[in-house]
Amino acid sequence: MASVDGFSHLVVHVTDLNRSEAFYRDIIGLDVIGRDLVTDDGPNSLLALNTRQRLVLVEVPEVTAIRPNSSTIHHAWLLTIDEFQRTRERMKKAGYDVDDSRAQFRAMGENSMDIFDPDGHRYQIQAYAPEATQVITEDIGPIACGHVDDFAVGSVKTFVKGKFCLVRLPDGFLALSRWCTHLNGLLSWKQEHWEFYCPMHGARFDRRGIARPKGRPCPPLRLHPVSIDDAGVVTVDPGTAITRSDFDPSQLTVPAATTREAETAQAGKGA
Amino acid sequence: MAEAETLSHSGICVHDLKEAEDFYCGVLGARLQGAVNFFTEDTLNGRSVHQAYALGDFLFAVALAPDFMPMPPDEQLKGAMGIRHAFTVEKAAFNQVIAGLKGKGVPFEGPVDHPEAGPFGQSVYFKDPSGNFLEIVWRRDEDVVYAAPPDLDVG
Ligand code: FES
Repeated sequence: MASVDGFSHLVVHVTDLNRSEAFYRDIIGLDVIGRDLVTDDGPNSLLALNTRQRLVLVEVPEVTAIRPNSSTIHHAWLLTIDEFQRTRERMKKAGYDVDDSRAQFRAMGENSMDIFDPDGHRYQIQAYAPEATQVITEDIGPIACGHVDDFAVGSVKTFVKGKFCLVRLPDGFLALSRWCTHLNGLLSWKQEHWEFYCPMHGARFDRRGIARPKGRPCPPLRLHPVSIDDAGVVTVDPGTAITRSDFDPSQLTVPAATTREAETAQAGKGA
Repeated sequence: MAEAETLSHSGICVHDLKEAEDFYCGVLGARLQGAVNFFTEDTLNGRSVHQAYALGDFLFAVALAPDFMPMPPDEQLKGAMGIRHAFTVEKAAFNQVIAGLKGKGVPFEGPVDHPEAGPFGQSVYFKDPSGNFLEIVWRRDEDVVYAAPPDLDVG
């Protein structure tokens, strides 16, 4: 069957149409289009967002705003950052709490507040500041990560300073920025799943920094330059971030043959 | 001008995530956008275990209900458990969508006509396997160009 094109409208049951219409108009800031423009179960009011999406308030005698055991139910209004600031002021003035109850789960630049309508319907109001999508680097100079032979093929080592992971692939090294390419959540390496995971909105990346095909579609993780000196010491510069559209073997820093392993092999041969 | 751009997502609860995935992805054509908090530490942090399904400009964050939710009567196809989500298709595809619901064995009610003065044309009503009410509508204003929704998929 054909897929749906997108969201059209949310129908919200309310017990007092005038009261709710005023709330969505004056606090949320929607445009009222008119009354009874929709066939539904009661008198209704149609309100507009700036995109084609609409809200339909339908007056009914009784409302269960939060279905029992539907504990996570909420609906999120997405605002521009300017609209968010203005809405925050309107809410404050009207006596609403504007704190973010889940601040610890927000990616950088992700702004959020919660609000309940007069019948208890729960909403999130969100906006993304430019920090959400900026490329983050740490200008702390190059970091010596260890000797080439300290990294087994396939291994991933997390560096807290510089917020990157050094990955040893069969053909060389990659230093992946741990800042998620969705909205700057901080990724962690999940050894048991062989993937990077973003606790913000669940993005997942493989060891090449490529988003898992079945997950959130995100651009590849950014890279930091990797160098290996003659003694085999691997150095990463988290002050530079390289964006890319895909993985390419040329992105790998290949260790020279002068590793301890090679030396040992050489020494073994001589003996 | 309104002070909000879109409803970007809703969190809803279901009784069975696999069944929900089959329904939203298989019947409505959603894209599985991710599985969130399938890791113990996130769950211990108090985050819900959920999947995200993308439907055009909208995301359903679908969580497992902590216990059984009251279900609407089997025969009730049109309604709201407080709320109902309506998705749009082009008028030209509406009959195909109805045929699709029939083909997949999803009982529905409608089409129901909306007043000519409003933006909606006709709707059909149904529910997901966990009793969340849904609607598919074609709109009279489908040729009107509105502001594009902000794209949150790619940072
Ligand atoms: S910040 Fe959204 S998934 Fe990482």
